[in-house]
Amino acid sequence: MITFVAFSFKRAWQGFWRNKVMSLAATATMILMLVLLAGFWVLQTGLAAGLEFVEQKVQVVAELHDGLPQSNIDNLIRDVEAQPEVLSVEYVSKDEALQRFRDRQTQLGHEDLTKVLDTNPLPASLQIRLKDAKIYGNVVTFLRSPDQSYAVAKVDPVESYVDRLLTITSVLRSGGLVVLGLVGLTVLFIIVNTIKLAVVARREEIEIMRLVGASDAFVRWPFIFEGALVGVLGAALTLGLLAVVGQPLSQVMTGFFEVLPLQLGSLTRDLVLITVGTGVGLGMFGSWLSVRSYLGR
Amino acid sequence: MTIAPSRPAEGARVTGPGSGPTGTTDDRPPDRAVVLLHDVTKAYPNGNIALREVDLLVPEGDFVFLVGPSGAGKSTLIKLLIRDELATKGKVLVDGQDLAHLRRRHIPKVRRKIGIVFQDFKLLQTKSVWENVAFALEVTGTPGRQIRPAVDRVLALVGLSAQARQTPAQLSGGEQQRTAIARALVHDPRIIIADEPTGNLDPLISWEIIQLLLRINELGVTVLMATHNAEVVTALRKRVVALEEGRIVRDEVGGAYHRED
Repeated sequence: MITFVAFSFKRAWQGFWRNKVMSLAATATMILMLVLLAGFWVLQTGLAAGLEFVEQKVQVVAELHDGLPQSNIDNLIRDVEAQPEVLSVEYVSKDEALQRFRDRQTQLGHEDLTKVLDTNPLPASLQIRLKDAKIYGNVVTFLRSPDQSYAVAKVDPVESYVDRLLTITSVLRSGGLVVLGLVGLTVLFIIVNTIKLAVVARREEIEIMRLVGASDAFVRWPFIFEGALVGVLGAALTLGLLAVVGQPLSQVMTGFFEVLPLQLGSLTRDLVLITVGTGVGLGMFGSWLSVRSYLGR
Repeated sequence: MTIAPSRPAEGARVTGPGSGPTGTTDDRPPDRAVVLLHDVTKAYPNGNIALREVDLLVPEGDFVFLVGPSGAGKSTLIKLLIRDELATKGKVLVDGQDLAHLRRRHIPKVRRKIGIVFQDFKLLQTKSVWENVAFALEVTGTPGRQIRPAVDRVLALVGLSAQARQTPAQLSGGEQQRTAIARALVHDPRIIIADEPTGNLDPLISWEIIQLLLRINELGVTVLMATHNAEVVTALRKRVVALEEGRIVRDEVGGAYHRED
């Protein structure tokens, strides 16, 4: 067993360096593909984070009647909070609503016209955050039920807005996954073909090994280790490359998607795992596929 | 013809039609046969029938020339013996093992009992003579400390100890073939199968290779050699098995390359 593993490693190492051009071609392909894959993955994670952020913004707003006693408001808040879908409830009083409106107008650079009003036309409201934006139905039904009409004047029609937003985000999510999957398949295809070339270059060796009575494992594993070597090397160089260009790139991205809380830094650990895992996995699987046809019969 | 009746080899046709005095000159029981083919037919998927109802018994220690025109089935017969191909019909036994019922993982073990030598040597150009021979042991999982003495021993046997560090490109054709023979021997095989081993060599060097194979045979290793070299076959008067269109048409001890009527 030790003889076998030592033999396989030694042969993998020799094989890699004896056939430098082919090995480096395979490694270069691997780097190219892993950069592509890592890039897509970073984009996809950024997109997902952005979408989550947008979805979190979805809330149900219930406008309240004017002049409700505080006890009624407290009751309603308690009842709403008791709903299982509800994440949090925020009470916005009439004054606060007016203040928020004024702030926003100022921010947008509009003239504040509310000064001319002698009363506050804005209603107090409950701003209800949901645990899952998709499940808003029960909360809306609850607020609209006659039992709550003593306090709730109107529930904003969130349905069409939420439905549209969710359709877009789910399309973007699954679209991103499909693209990621396609890139993965392309990587596999190219890697397998590159390694196949390396194997073809050594078919004479494989033939001799079979003729002198080498078992399949002795033929196969040096190539699989060699594939793993290509994967490790490719992944290491890819990560090095990402580390160098990652920081400026991340700044550009954050500047570009200012509204979205993109945090490329926090992805590092996952990114390392994915890059190394994909590289080694593809290298080994590619080698296994390539050698298989020579072991036949 | 001394094959005892009631043995599995009964009916094995070791005599061809019209052949002269025949027999395998051996008094060992047939279960000592290194190679046994019984009623073997090999048809390729393209419909080409390479061997037809072939019976052949090679007892231990025998030296057999396998002759016949190109396409007569010599190569197919060798492929069956190393289990590169399976017989369509009939039995192929190597060292008593039925190759048809051999599990995939046991194939390498049978191949280690066979040392094979080719016309084109099949040496690895990037390795030295010593490494080429050692390779056969390395890839079969032989511990390192056993490799060195075994390689040194066979290189001495074929007379290449001095060239051990050279690569095949630095060797003559005869030396390359001797390297291949050393590699074939390093597993202590039961039989050496040589497929046209002198096909690429000039007559003088060819004789050297034949002398080496004869010496190996004297050491007790069975030798089966496919060849077109009429001069060698006729001169040595060993057992000759002639194939034509997939059939054994002659099998005589002390035969010549061509039939002598």
